[in-house]
Amino acid sequence: MSEILLSNQVIVYLLSESILFGLLLIAFIITLEILIKWDFGSYSEQQFRLERRAYLVMTILLFVFVVKFLLLIYFVFAIDSLSLLVPGAMCAAGVISANDYGMLLLLLKLLILFFLLLWMAINRYDLQAKNYPLFRIKSWLFVSIFLVIAIETGVDFAYFGHIDTLEPVNCCSTLYGQLEGANPLPFGLNTMILLILFYLLYVAVMASALSSQRVSFMVALLLFVFIAYYSVVYFFGTYIYELPTHNCPFCMLQKEYYYVGYLVWGALFVGTYLGLISSVMEIGLKVERNRERMVALALLSIFVLLCTGFVAIYYLRNGVFL
Amino acid sequence: MTENAIITIENLNKHFKSGDLLSKVLKDINLEIERGECIVLKGVSGSGKTTLLSIMGGLDRPSSGKVLVEGESISKLPDLHISHFRAQKIGMIFQHFNLFDHLTATENVMIPLIPARLSMDEVDQKVHSSLKLANISHKAESTAGRLSGGEKQRVAIARALVSDPAIILCDEPTANLDRDNSLKFIEILGQLHEMGKTIVVATHDPLFDTLSFANRVVPMEDGSLVGSISKGLQ
Amino acid sequence: MRNSPFFHFLTLEFFKERKKHMGVIAISLVILFLLSSVLFISSSIRYSLEQTLDQEPDFVVQRIQGGERVSVPTEWMDRLLEIHGISSVTARVYGRYFFKSKEKSFLIVGVDFMDEQSHKALRTIMDEVDLREFLKGDNMLVGGGVSHYLKSHFYPKGYTFLTPKGAFKKVHLFKVLPRESNLIANDMIIVPIELAQEIFGMNEEEVSDITFNVPNDDEWANVEDKISSFHYDLRVITKNDIKKAYENLYNYKGGIFLILFLITIVTFVLILYQRYSMVYSSERRHIGLLRALGWSINDVLKLKFFETMMVVIVAYILGVGLAYLYVFVLGAPLLREIFLGGANLHNVITLVPVLNFGILSSIFLIYAVPFVSAVLIPVWKIAVTDPKEAML
Repeated sequence: MSEILLSNQVIVYLLSESILFGLLLIAFIITLEILIKWDFGSYSEQQFRLERRAYLVMTILLFVFVVKFLLLIYFVFAIDSLSLLVPGAMCAAGVISANDYGMLLLLLKLLILFFLLLWMAINRYDLQAKNYPLFRIKSWLFVSIFLVIAIETGVDFAYFGHIDTLEPVNCCSTLYGQLEGANPLPFGLNTMILLILFYLLYVAVMASALSSQRVSFMVALLLFVFIAYYSVVYFFGTYIYELPTHNCPFCMLQKEYYYVGYLVWGALFVGTYLGLISSVMEIGLKVERNRERMVALALLSIFVLLCTGFVAIYYLRNGVFL
Repeated sequence: MTENAIITIENLNKHFKSGDLLSKVLKDINLEIERGECIVLKGVSGSGKTTLLSIMGGLDRPSSGKVLVEGESISKLPDLHISHFRAQKIGMIFQHFNLFDHLTATENVMIPLIPARLSMDEVDQKVHSSLKLANISHKAESTAGRLSGGEKQRVAIARALVSDPAIILCDEPTANLDRDNSLKFIEILGQLHEMGKTIVVATHDPLFDTLSFANRVVPMEDGSLVGSISKGLQ
Repeated sequence: MRNSPFFHFLTLEFFKERKKHMGVIAISLVILFLLSSVLFISSSIRYSLEQTLDQEPDFVVQRIQGGERVSVPTEWMDRLLEIHGISSVTARVYGRYFFKSKEKSFLIVGVDFMDEQSHKALRTIMDEVDLREFLKGDNMLVGGGVSHYLKSHFYPKGYTFLTPKGAFKKVHLFKVLPRESNLIANDMIIVPIELAQEIFGMNEEEVSDITFNVPNDDEWANVEDKISSFHYDLRVITKNDIKKAYENLYNYKGGIFLILFLITIVTFVLILYQRYSMVYSSERRHIGLLRALGWSINDVLKLKFFETMMVVIVAYILGVGLAYLYVFVLGAPLLREIFLGGANLHNVITLVPVLNFGILSSIFLIYAVPFVSAVLIPVWKIAVTDPKEAML
């Protein structure tokens, strides 16, 4: 047995994931039953039973969402502390890339959280209506979420079961660094254009949101996340580390940088999630979701301020840019 | 359906299945209750009056038929709405008082207001005035378990009134009271009637036969309404 | 929150019905206490190990012949000294010396006191020792366990070693090493290198191994490569290798506990499920009444959820707090033997308080996730109680 699987945090993590999967399986079976037998117009005892069972699905999903959210933070933290066991790894970046499953797992987690949040938004609206108008949409959404989570749980075990503690991995400087002057940025952008795009897109997001341009808001938001990721890794991050060659999305999650990474990535992702959910609800289901959008804008603004702040503070303190 | 109707019941049926046996508790009930009316549902126990009351109050669902309250059908509302309906429109007074014995009178009266997301001050104010209306303010901080039957009943009335519902439903309200307390209860009921509340009392207590302010006495027998004695609105 | 009727009612119910929760809180406390104690002890030991390992020299060079470690010729030292970036090259002589009964053994470490020490802990010890006095005669520094053992076998002043050549060698006990180093130095005896060579019957040109430091971390891999190519029978061990070995060992011990704990958790979940199904079925009328008075399923779910969270959090804080007292204030009597037991000399170490996010969050997750999962279905069952229950 790999010694990774005996690490406390990995055991706790895998146990929690398995329990959640068990609960989801119950919810999944109930959802299938509901999808087959649901007949809202009926006064039969069966229909009332299904309506009550739908509440169990809701309870389970709510719980799963909260725990999955905590587990994502815990996962990153666990990975980070595993970097002691994996040769060559200095931070989570190395451990994540220890095998092919790591990055996939992280992406799946981000995706699952988004869809769970979307499910809850739809559910909330559905319960407030008088005839469960969206129940089929939300049930099918859950069925797909369940399938993705099933894959994720499998990848969980595959990932932690296949970390080799003898084979050295790359550290973040080789994974994200500019090797031999190659440009790591997409579409051959340079840092200057990247930054201009970053702020322009932020303005576009804000403007389209405030003027209720739903489709352009969604498009701007998606572009913004994409550009923001690269901006943080290749520009703002260097100011967090105060080292021009240190490009890494994970190191900032460490104690040395006061765990500021959790705040930076948290604000970006939660902000984006809420923004996207408000758009999906508004475009797809024609439901007003102003509150989510406003919270999203606030979080994204915090994110931009935080990033800009690191650069500004560095400049004020040292009188030069990196 | 008359314009002034607050509760309209059309072709209401309710049956329970136990094994292969189908027991019909309510059979083809048609009833219209006007705003501000006071109605006495009269019948022996087992005649279905409690079930009818439960269905009117959104506590139970019909097997078929329609129940309209203020023009809206309540028989097939999702839980969130039917609960909201119960909280807003209905004041329930139960046969066994149904108080939480370990809580004080104030805390008992507060319960229907809790889901409504009011502030503590608003809640306090409503509870206070409701206790006053039921004439039980002096026992506000007493634990419900230690109150006498009559006091318990008045706390129950205060609780039914606290969210200012339009309809008061009473299920055998005097079954556990002595004659004195029963008369007091009837007196408070009279005040509520004057305030314009719609009142439905399910009872077999003969005291209600001579109720001066009752508009109608509706006898029930074996799940059906058997005629009604109308006294006309006063 | 104080202005919310919901939380007012929640706390009211919780305190008035606290008897109902006592059983569950008690079971939770026992489980949390055991788990936290074990994790606290293992992480404290790990922390002390790390602290001690930091004191170790960066590199150790050994000679391997036929898979066995053999003596290293001292001429290797001169070759090492030629490499740039290497400092504090020190020769060491050490080995196990078995006591009469052959059950117990000491680790004898011979040190060249004239060289600059690559072992930082030794360096600090040396600073406190009057070297001139120490080197005058045949003296030794001993760890706590050794001192204890010698005393109890009536050798309070020193000990007479028997060399492989059959001669006796009397050595005076000069000083006992400080307690903080007990984790590693408990069964250690430090003597001048010549003395150690004599006790083990080695030549003057032979040492057990050679240690040195490489201050620049980035050069480690480089130096390792360079030295490995010196000799076909040469082996280089870095401090990181040792660290990882220890890390694995303690993860392993902690991991075994966690797996045992999983079995406990399964039982715990079953008990909880039963218990809450029972508690809640006795509440049916109660909840039916709330529902009749206008509470929706969501409202009841919310009430029960917060109630559960209060039980979880109260038990968590109490359990972890008690474990903290037990381990770090009382020194974890009984339980520590499992972790430190098996050592050949009695060991006395102080558990240094270590409390971090990793441990606290692990304890919380492994307790709260199964707990809430077990309660989820009973909670839902009670929340969907028909309001007509109130009429019965």
